[in-house]
Amino acid sequence: MSEELTFWEKLARIDRRVFYWILFIGLMIPFIRPIMFPISISPSTRDLYEGIIEMVEPGDVVVMNIAFGVSAWPECMPAFAACTKLLIKEGAKIIFWGAYYDVDLSYEEVLRRCEDYFKDLKYGEDYVYLGYYPYQEAAVAQLASSIRSIFETDNYGTPLDEIPMMKNVDKATDIKLVLSGDTGDVCDYYIRQWRIPYGVPVAEIGIAMLGSSYMPFYKSGVLFGMSVGVRGGAELEKLIGEPGEATIRMGAINISHILVIIAVVLANIGYFASRGRRR
Amino acid sequence: MVGKREEEDMAIIVSGRGMALVILVLSYILFYIFMYLGRKGREIPVRTLPPMAAIPEGIGRAAEMGRPVMFTPGIAGDLNDPTQGPQVLAAISILGYIARECARTGVKLDVFMPIPTALPLTEETLRTAYMAEGKPEEFSPDMIHFIAGQSPYLTAVLGYFQRERPATNFLIGGFYYESVVMGEGGNTIGAFQIGGTANTHQMPFLVATCDYVLLAEELYAAGASISKDPDILGCLRGEDIMKFILIALMIIGFILGFARNPALINVLRW
Amino acid sequence: MAEVLRREVVYLITAIVTILMFIEFFFIGTWNVAEELRTWATIIANISIALGAVRLLAEHAKNVQRRRAGVWPFSIWLWIIFLVTLLSGLAGYVIKQDAMTNPLYNWLFTWPYTSLGQTLYAITGFYIFSAAYRAFRARNIDAALLLIAGCFVILTNAPIGGVIWSGIPVIGRWFLDYGQVPGMRCFLIVAAFGMLAYGFRALLGRERGFYGEVAGE
Repeated sequence: MSEELTFWEKLARIDRRVFYWILFIGLMIPFIRPIMFPISISPSTRDLYEGIIEMVEPGDVVVMNIAFGVSAWPECMPAFAACTKLLIKEGAKIIFWGAYYDVDLSYEEVLRRCEDYFKDLKYGEDYVYLGYYPYQEAAVAQLASSIRSIFETDNYGTPLDEIPMMKNVDKATDIKLVLSGDTGDVCDYYIRQWRIPYGVPVAEIGIAMLGSSYMPFYKSGVLFGMSVGVRGGAELEKLIGEPGEATIRMGAINISHILVIIAVVLANIGYFASRGRRR
Repeated sequence: MVGKREEEDMAIIVSGRGMALVILVLSYILFYIFMYLGRKGREIPVRTLPPMAAIPEGIGRAAEMGRPVMFTPGIAGDLNDPTQGPQVLAAISILGYIARECARTGVKLDVFMPIPTALPLTEETLRTAYMAEGKPEEFSPDMIHFIAGQSPYLTAVLGYFQRERPATNFLIGGFYYESVVMGEGGNTIGAFQIGGTANTHQMPFLVATCDYVLLAEELYAAGASISKDPDILGCLRGEDIMKFILIALMIIGFILGFARNPALINVLRW
Repeated sequence: MAEVLRREVVYLITAIVTILMFIEFFFIGTWNVAEELRTWATIIANISIALGAVRLLAEHAKNVQRRRAGVWPFSIWLWIIFLVTLLSGLAGYVIKQDAMTNPLYNWLFTWPYTSLGQTLYAITGFYIFSAAYRAFRARNIDAALLLIAGCFVILTNAPIGGVIWSGIPVIGRWFLDYGQVPGMRCFLIVAAFGMLAYGFRALLGRERGFYGEVAGE
């Protein structure tokens, strides 16, 4: 015969489905009525922003590595788009390539989000899309030695020698910096194969899970900056003066984080209050 | 550290990579010495890892409840990936041990393998384990569920949890975000869970959702302690020695840092 | 005999390639021999994608052939979707050098694939929520300290944390920038040595898994 649970024990054993519904409904609120608070800028994001401004001169060639899939768009895409806009403002020439099989989708999405910026640019002279390369460190290492050994043509079949901005660009030393948007190990590859051997500055645009993993690299100066998750995207949008999707999502971040704290507090209250009975 | 450009001098070693070469050679010497000693019969003990001691407990729980055991090594990478491959191989070593325990106790084992290059090795490991227990007829290739792609793999495992309700789950290997979903999915069905990964970004999730976890090098040590491979055990001992050397360097650097002396930094930048 | 040769040839190729890469990295800097080898590795990696696809199709064909209960209709569905996606993508590539120009291929990736991928990733948030509720309990001193640090970091990530108290982002940022960094550095060093050891055993031909052998044989 099962014992009746006390109120406190029930508090410590709330069915997770209750929380799922509360979270689901709670997350809808900021999209209906935005809840905005001031966003402070973290040092890693500020260094990323200022690093791009200080290092990039008009005409410099920059690599934007798309190593995140469509599932990570909410976390990585706002920051990636903000960095693209910033690079265009600084007059950089951008090479897009990526290590995910759905990189075409992500590239199209970047173009869509930065449509106003790209309309004055000419493909082949100001930016180029080279396409997919294997998700593998040997490929990243070989790109550093010779881009043409991996990409003989751009994604649309045009030989690189016929693309104006690629005429004198073939190896890591021809690249000013690399911004790697990824959800896993690809930034490690760029650190080991581009940053350490050739000194090419590298920055990470990653999901929130990667923030703590890459912090040692940022703190030791190996990465010149880092954007972490949706928050990083919102900070970059604030820095470039164009609040967008990430800024709107911060309302949902507020709600979800507060609900987590409340849930944890309730769990601990229930745990401590029922501890005496368990003894 | 910046590598040599074509126009630089005639130094033998590329600038900035000398100390890396020293550490590499020193590591290899230590690895070789202890691998040699291991093969000569010297015992290289590995401390008892609680997750490994808990494996028989988990399988015994499954036997009592009459429910299956699930094992999956995560989708983080291929066997030839330098960071993920060793994790997958260590996971498959542990799978061999789990398979033997399952064969011995008559518990059904289901393996969800999302890495195509690891499939032949997994099949061979399971077949060998069942043969070693004298029950080759209980092995079937249907025990291995191959699902390519992260999202299909994740949904397949979650669906399996709801249908089969395994008593014990082993989430050991290289994981990406599926670790938290599988771990919590296993908790919803009340499964006993043992996890293990060397991916730093997934460790917190496995710690939060599993009853026991192998963290970073414990994963490799666990694989070694099961297989008793003298080469792997020897390398583990060599790694321990290198860690002591690095700790000594850190202490020296800490002291020199207070004195604002860049000597050690200059040496490390050689 | 063939088995021994297969193993020895793999071992020899591994050793030669490893030594050439060492020579390039430490003594030469940039070497066209190593570049050529890396290009080959990239080509082989692309081939392995096709191998994975072939393996997947073979597994599902077996399911259909054996009428595996509860599974074989989905295996047929996988074959259908695979062929539709492949053929539509190839059609786009052949006609206009870009698979995305095919309307069907574009639609498949833009709508079902993107929506389903983002949905599954979004599930992570709900599972993290319930994991936090279940796991973040101050059972002992260590758990209590972890709980407190975790709360500060959570509220640092949300702008509302700074509104509640201006000290929360300061403390939370300290945990992120300094508190957890030594631990992460330890894991990085450990992982690096693990990779060194793995590579060394592969170089000597003693990493059984690398050569497709089962440990203990």
